Amino acid sequence: MKFLLDYFSSVKLAIVLLIIITLASILGTFVPQQRTAAEYAARYGQLAPLLITLEVTRLYHSWWFLGLLFLFSLNIAVCTLTRLGTKWRRAFRPSVKADATKLKALKISAEFRMKGSPADAAPSVKSALRGRRYRIRESGREGNIELLARKRTAGLFGSDIVHLGLLVILIGGIISGFSSTRRMLTITEGATLDVPEAGIQLRLDKFQTDYYPNGAVKDWKSFLTVIDGGQEVLQKSIEVNHPLSYRGFLFYQSSYGYDWENPRFEIWAKKTDDSEFLDKLQSGVGETVPLSDEKTEILIKNFVPDFIINEQNQVATRSLQPNNPAVLIEGRQDGEPLFSAWVFAKFPDFSQMHSEREHVFTFELKNIDSAPYSGIEMARDPGVNFIWAGCIFLTLGLFVAFFWPPAEIRVALSQDQDRTSITAGGIAAKNKDALQEEFDRITASIRSHA
Amino acid sequence: MNESTLFALTFIIYVAAAFFYFAFIFSKRENLAKVGYNFAVIGLAAHTVALIMRTIESGHAPFTNMYESLSFLGWSAMLAYVLIEGKFRIRKAGPYFMLIVIGLMALASSPLMPSSATPLVPALQSYWLWLHVSVTLLGEAFFAVAFITSIMYLAADSRETKGTAKPDAISAAKLDSISYRCVAIGFPLFTLGGLVFGMVWAYRAWGSYWSWDPKEVWSLITWFVFALYLHTRIVMGWKGRRSAVIALLGFLAALFTYFGVNYLLAGLHSYA
Repeated sequence: MKFLLDYFSSVKLAIVLLIIITLASILGTFVPQQRTAAEYAARYGQLAPLLITLEVTRLYHSWWFLGLLFLFSLNIAVCTLTRLGTKWRRAFRPSVKADATKLKALKISAEFRMKGSPADAAPSVKSALRGRRYRIRESGREGNIELLARKRTAGLFGSDIVHLGLLVILIGGIISGFSSTRRMLTITEGATLDVPEAGIQLRLDKFQTDYYPNGAVKDWKSFLTVIDGGQEVLQKSIEVNHPLSYRGFLFYQSSYGYDWENPRFEIWAKKTDDSEFLDKLQSGVGETVPLSDEKTEILIKNFVPDFIINEQNQVATRSLQPNNPAVLIEGRQDGEPLFSAWVFAKFPDFSQMHSEREHVFTFELKNIDSAPYSGIEMARDPGVNFIWAGCIFLTLGLFVAFFWPPAEIRVALSQDQDRTSITAGGIAAKNKDALQEEFDRITASIRSHA
Repeated sequence: MNESTLFALTFIIYVAAAFFYFAFIFSKRENLAKVGYNFAVIGLAAHTVALIMRTIESGHAPFTNMYESLSFLGWSAMLAYVLIEGKFRIRKAGPYFMLIVIGLMALASSPLMPSSATPLVPALQSYWLWLHVSVTLLGEAFFAVAFITSIMYLAADSRETKGTAKPDAISAAKLDSISYRCVAIGFPLFTLGGLVFGMVWAYRAWGSYWSWDPKEVWSLITWFVFALYLHTRIVMGWKGRRSAVIALLGFLAALFTYFGVNYLLAGLHSYA
């Protein structure tokens, strides 16, 4: 146990771990993370199985990286705690001892004499120190006086606050890792969606895209209503950077798109032998619409927003954007199939018609409309409050450590015949130059009273 | 006068500052360094006005693409240098530092960098843009000063050990101390701006404070390197050569976070 404690209280261990964690982190940025086995095989060839086994492909979530982080936190905790006791005593129960020979050995020190006894000289020494906002502790033995003057003592604990912050952040990270949930919700305008995780329903009242004058997207907005226990409890519009928060769940505007499951469109039917003939058929997928000639009907069989023939020689959609919308229709007359055709909105002359019997129809696809949907990322992360608390400690601690340096001046006043010999020394772990400057001013001010 | 004319003027003033600083190095006339310093301060003022004009013209923070963020980094670096020189009188660092700033400005105005003020994509429309980027780059500017003073340290140290140091040269010990002071200012700023504000913004925008995105990882790496610098120095008493080398590596990591990640690694953080 003692051995373990000694081992983990070593700063050398901390430095070795820090270097290993840094190198591992660098490695993780050059090997793409969390891709498929096939991608790794293509990229690294025979090396791929090894990388996967060693979890270099999911490095930051691998057992060994998390293990390193765990050892590092243990190291930080032990290092901080084992040093805290000494610091605590130094801060709150300091020894006031000032030994003239030791003070003289300090880098920042001075020695001079004043008139009268130490008791006569002490007030001007103290007032010079107090003038520089030092707090003074005093002890006296056999007519000699020893002074301990300190300021910004809290600065001693800056690094401990930083380390506490880091540990709290790591705890937050562990909590996030185990208990955070994330899911992408897609809601079409007007629809209500069950969100069982949060025990609520979410209704998208309106979805809106704002544009800049040059046409670039400025923002996406979803106007949401939260329904909790059948009651409408909250209405809020969310946009990028402005999520909705409800009972620990956050809803982020994340993406948008069109609902191509239920598009509406018009099919314009024309006849090659009758230029007057024009039927505008309002329809959707799965519907059957009759033509005005009263004997032909059109079945709408399929719709794709971005038509492509894939590698398996099947019709598919390349994207969810309406780049090349196409509809598959079938014509029937008296219950018998007449033709089937892919009709393209952007290429009206390119209809691929397979006719069973001769006919005179041509078709165009017009006015495609689909309900926009909003992609909303739902997230719940109980670790996040630890993260923010840790960040506050971390930042506060750093500013205390670097901008609030503790300073200590010890003074020994001893009787030397009818005069007082004064030896003073200054101690600062950081900012020695600044203390030297201040120390010189203080001693100069004391001497001017002498 | 519009923003780009003012930017060009700033550039010319910085070049003049560099000219006088180099004249000082070669002629050893102290007053030339003063002229250089004054030009640097005037350039900084012009640069400040240019950034303000850019902000007014575009209606958003002046660091949303590579041109803007390079110009802002140049500004931060200049500010850090003017403050450090004002305090420590390290005139000899002036010429080298001006070269870095001029390099940043030249890179910013190169045709490869998209410079037109484009409207902000939705993810960048947040006041966290101001907080995150400005505090981070200010922190990195102090790392840049530490980089220069560390290089100067290494040169001064080797001259001192060989006994070829000139009597009026800044001592290696002083350069070492200035490097430490710069890291001590830069580190808390970088932590607050780069890591803390970055996490808060990521949580606001993406719903996740940390995603192990390459840019995030590289800013953590930068942070680790400077943490190493501070611990080896404060706890283990390392100084001089080894400290200087760690400070150099730290700034290189910061540079890689800033440029390398965008051009070499793909990720979420694809703006600048």
